[in-house]
Amino acid sequence: MSVAFKSAIDDAVLDELRAIIGDDDRVLTNLSSRVNRTRVPAPFPVHRWAEHMPDVAVLPTSTEEVSEIVKLANRLRIPVVPRAGGTGLADGAVPLRGGILVDVKLMNRIHEVDLVDRTVTVGPGINMLKLNEELRRHGVFYPDDPASYPCSLVGGRIGAGGWSLLGARYGHTRENVVSMQVVLPTGEIAQIGDGGGRKLRKSSTGFNLKQLFTGHQGTLGICTEATLELAPRPETEFAAFFAFEDYASAWETTGILSKSGLATIAGVVLFDEWKIAYLRRDDEAYIEQPESVRAVVAVAMYGRRVEVEPASKVVMQLGRSAGGRYLGDEISSGDWASRHDRYAIPLHGRSTEGQAVPMSWHCEDAALNYSALPKVREAWHAIVARYRERYEIFDDWGMFAYTGGANKPWADYLVEIDVGIWEQRLNEETWSAWVDCKREIAEVTLAHGGSITACHGATRAGDAELVPTEMGTAWPVVKAIKRALDPNNVMNPGKQSLDEAYE
Amino acid sequence: MSIFRLGEQQPPEARRINDEVVMRFEHVYEVDPRLMELTGQQSMPAWDTQRIVDGRWDYLDWMHDHFADEVLLAGEESETMEGRG
Repeated sequence: MSVAFKSAIDDAVLDELRAIIGDDDRVLTNLSSRVNRTRVPAPFPVHRWAEHMPDVAVLPTSTEEVSEIVKLANRLRIPVVPRAGGTGLADGAVPLRGGILVDVKLMNRIHEVDLVDRTVTVGPGINMLKLNEELRRHGVFYPDDPASYPCSLVGGRIGAGGWSLLGARYGHTRENVVSMQVVLPTGEIAQIGDGGGRKLRKSSTGFNLKQLFTGHQGTLGICTEATLELAPRPETEFAAFFAFEDYASAWETTGILSKSGLATIAGVVLFDEWKIAYLRRDDEAYIEQPESVRAVVAVAMYGRRVEVEPASKVVMQLGRSAGGRYLGDEISSGDWASRHDRYAIPLHGRSTEGQAVPMSWHCEDAALNYSALPKVREAWHAIVARYRERYEIFDDWGMFAYTGGANKPWADYLVEIDVGIWEQRLNEETWSAWVDCKREIAEVTLAHGGSITACHGATRAGDAELVPTEMGTAWPVVKAIKRALDPNNVMNPGKQSLDEAYE
Repeated sequence: MSIFRLGEQQPPEARRINDEVVMRFEHVYEVDPRLMELTGQQSMPAWDTQRIVDGRWDYLDWMHDHFADEVLLAGEESETMEGRG
């Protein structure tokens, strides 16, 4: 069966949407409302903007409204694209085939704070920072902390299956969502969790559907309500940054820290030589560092003071055990605080002539094991260097490796290479070059036993076509699930090569 | 309280930090204007620069307070900047 789409929005459809929503101000067809819901911060084919615009954006305020919208779309075979903050670094929230964009930002209420069973139930349009401002007076917090913390929303985090800066201590998004309400691609409403309970963290009844509905990139449904974990608000934070003269020593120290068994460690971050060179251009913390600073390891801990204080002394020893030099209190505390919000930075890179130019941020975010980091790093930088030599739009902003295992930080890493893309110079040739570059980077990841994304999702040209390869013998299972839940391929079509489910 | 004096709003001459960075105010680094030919810069009075810098520090302090009740420091100076002022 082949399911092909083209936009099918006409006045009759708009009338039905307005009848469902009951408020014309929440059914948006004007150009600016649609343009503003087209792209995300990641590099975007600005020369083909119109191809990615939704035909209409709707802002529901209830699960029932979302359900009726999706039923309409499924009946008429119209693509539906869920969108929360639109802060993703891949294309989960970018319409590929027009259709109805369901913007959940108005579903931003806190429905319940349960301090006894330690959950908070919210709409998908709430932001973690705003949520935690409310939770603070109760002495608890929701510990999901992406680099977009001040601007991303809970619904997008669930759709993407996001990674958290504090994941080594508190888990990532999928560990911190206890259950959720989901509108399926046919419009039915399902309560999804571990077993049937809304507030249970562990069950062996039925299938564990919660994992399936966390990180599907909006291809299996729309989360309309989420019950989230409440952790005790940390009493004490400690961060320490160590400098190294070579990558190998920094890599070794990253392993030492992440395998230390210190339970308060929330994250360990490895900055490679290219990253330090990039920061040395214009980051106040690194500009005046001596040339001997070529790699950095950062570690942060959260918890009760009785835990963090003695552990901090161990961290200071371990951080120096392979040649690390402490970068000082000011950088350690200041730079760590800035890690919660990387979206506040006006991004710019350098043209091949060295001129500062505005660039968008491509963050390739593979999941890799510790042992693979050194070789992958060399291969990735070589790829980007080759493309920069030929095309002026590329700039290598270096690599980070972050501890990636939830509560088990010792072996898995979210490894990112940040590549600046000069969007003003994009055309068909340079866009194709960027897609090719991205694909080569992803192929290196697969060759080293990794996964092509640890956080953002494989929704973009350049890696979406590699999803079947990575999934291997599980790919028929993935396709069967997609086809069963979304028989007409209306839910965020075109992502992750899932069109193959309908061939 | 600081007093606004028009004559004090002209940024001082930049001093060079390295090949790509200059500095006009203490601890406020700027990309060398020679590298900003494709990206226009607006002239900015001293008070506005100070406002942005102060805002940045306020923001980082706020972020610390947002995530934990206290920030524990190692209490040690930088080992890479020793003797560099």
